[in-house]
Amino acid sequence: MEYPKVEFFTTRAKLEAGREQTVDVLIRITPPALSLDHSTRPNWKGRPDLNLSLVLDRSGSMEGEKMIRAREAAMFCVDQMLPTDRLSVVTFDDRIEVLFPSEPVTNKQAMKDLIARVTARGSTALHEAWVRGGLTVSERMLDQGINRVVLITDGLANVGITSTDEIVTQSMGLYQRGVSTSTIGIGADFNEDLLMPMAQSGGGNAWHVVEPGDMQHIFQTELEGLIAQYAHTVSLSLIPADGVRIVDVLNDFELTETGRYRLPNLQAGSPLDIVAQLRVGAEDAGSQMRLLDLRLGFMPQEAKQAEVLKQAHTVEFASTTAVENSPVNDEVIKAVQFLMNARARNEAMKRMDAGDYAGAEAVLGTALSATRAACADFAAMPAVMEECASLQETSMSLKDRLKDKMSRKKLAYAAYTRQTGKLDR
Amino acid sequence: MAMSVLKEKGRKYVGLPEFARVSGQLVADLQLEQQRGTVTSVPDERTIRYYLAEGLIQTPEERQGTASVFSYLNLLQLLTVKKLQAEHLPIRKIRELVAGKSEQELETLLGVRGPSGKKTEAKRYLESLLAPAPSASLMDAAAPPAQHLDASPHSWQRVEIEPGLELHVRSDYAPPATTGKTRSLLERAIHRLRRLRD
Repeated sequence: MEYPKVEFFTTRAKLEAGREQTVDVLIRITPPALSLDHSTRPNWKGRPDLNLSLVLDRSGSMEGEKMIRAREAAMFCVDQMLPTDRLSVVTFDDRIEVLFPSEPVTNKQAMKDLIARVTARGSTALHEAWVRGGLTVSERMLDQGINRVVLITDGLANVGITSTDEIVTQSMGLYQRGVSTSTIGIGADFNEDLLMPMAQSGGGNAWHVVEPGDMQHIFQTELEGLIAQYAHTVSLSLIPADGVRIVDVLNDFELTETGRYRLPNLQAGSPLDIVAQLRVGAEDAGSQMRLLDLRLGFMPQEAKQAEVLKQAHTVEFASTTAVENSPVNDEVIKAVQFLMNARARNEAMKRMDAGDYAGAEAVLGTALSATRAACADFAAMPAVMEECASLQETSMSLKDRLKDKMSRKKLAYAAYTRQTGKLDR
Repeated sequence: MAMSVLKEKGRKYVGLPEFARVSGQLVADLQLEQQRGTVTSVPDERTIRYYLAEGLIQTPEERQGTASVFSYLNLLQLLTVKKLQAEHLPIRKIRELVAGKSEQELETLLGVRGPSGKKTEAKRYLESLLAPAPSASLMDAAAPPAQHLDASPHSWQRVEIEPGLELHVRSDYAPPATTGKTRSLLERAIHRLRRLRD
């Protein structure tokens, strides 16, 4: 099987000799792109089979545009699936209905007809609906395909189990047993502190629908992501050389039970950027050093056995002048800055929660100036322009108390996409 | 229904007529006949030869005298082809979906697979999440029964409780969600068992 490519980058190719320093190391993990070569894998039709359950909120607040878009997105999902995939739809308000149980996606029109009849009513029994969706998936578990629940809601869990900790723990428990969970939050009233960790612990993606029109795009990306999933249950350990110390890993990954970094699922062909800050002692010019050993553990989508990839990064030390005259790697600077901005967003959110809006705005303002300064040499890069616009826009919306809920969600989801390498929309 | 396919596992069919007879029965059992259209519903020898020529069924390597010996894999291939045809998929697409698939994969595609260890693990976990919760009775409140998309019957599964006693469970059966309901179910089951004895 084909392994992910692991690359290491430092701001400048060589490190300065003769002084102790903090070094930013960008670790880029790129899983192989999807292979469409049938000659090497006669069984492979280009993507894993899908076993999905859409768990659809139909509580009263979904009424109108949101319900219409949610239905359209669900029907879009039906259209994208193959007869070898399975789909079930569970709807919930204060009651839970299995609209149809897990079925092969062969009679698309019948599925769409049922979805078309879902209208909004009642309150939000989110937890039980999620469990029911999971059950329809678990009854038809695929050994090699992807088993996933996609929860779509605009509200707060207010019927049944509502404790965030409990639901998030259960989501992880279900993921460990082979069924992952993605969440799609619509509008400003859902609980991002529930839906984001639920997806993160659940091995899926967390999405935020700002405009009802985003929904279809999200579904497309979610399905493409499912189809392109290369590996799940991904963990990383970084072992520094003697005399080298890991000061920080800027992505703020959670740790596994065994103390490794818990990484998001790997998507075929889509790189994940990780930045580690290392404290390195003084070395002589011309000397080489094995700076860091990396160990990447993962479960490939196509295999039942875990794989481990090991790789080391060696650096060379050079005189101060030689280093200063060597080119700067923009990618490293950008990765560091974006991850720092993710932290700034989380910090701004904390201040908002504490009622310190001026403080939140100041944090974002500082992040914006820092980004402009650090990325000055490549300010026209689209990703940089988008980042600056996003910081500025959120900072503006913080001035308006009516937009608080939405501002907080924008901060939360922007931080999440940057830290996990999930594609921003 | 599912059981009747799985019971064929490991069997061999000597000669085309025998293979056609067994597969014809199963096609009828599984209700894979096409509702309309030009393709004959029950696979006769001629249809099977056509499937072999089209590569929809793998040509058997084993022979007894002049007769081909068909395997369980061949049977699954044939049933899957019929199922996908009944769903109006073009031959080209069917070939793509069936070719090179293992027995296990074809069983899954046909929806006749029995549960394996990992399969039941997620299910058991989710059931345990529902069981103690007071909210679990919500499902029973007024929800209409799930609507099925096609006329194909549910699959049934046998679970041995102890030697001499089996439960026969339909695929869409949800066990009782509350302790009260579980108790009442057990009482009813014991009552029925005792009546069998009398």
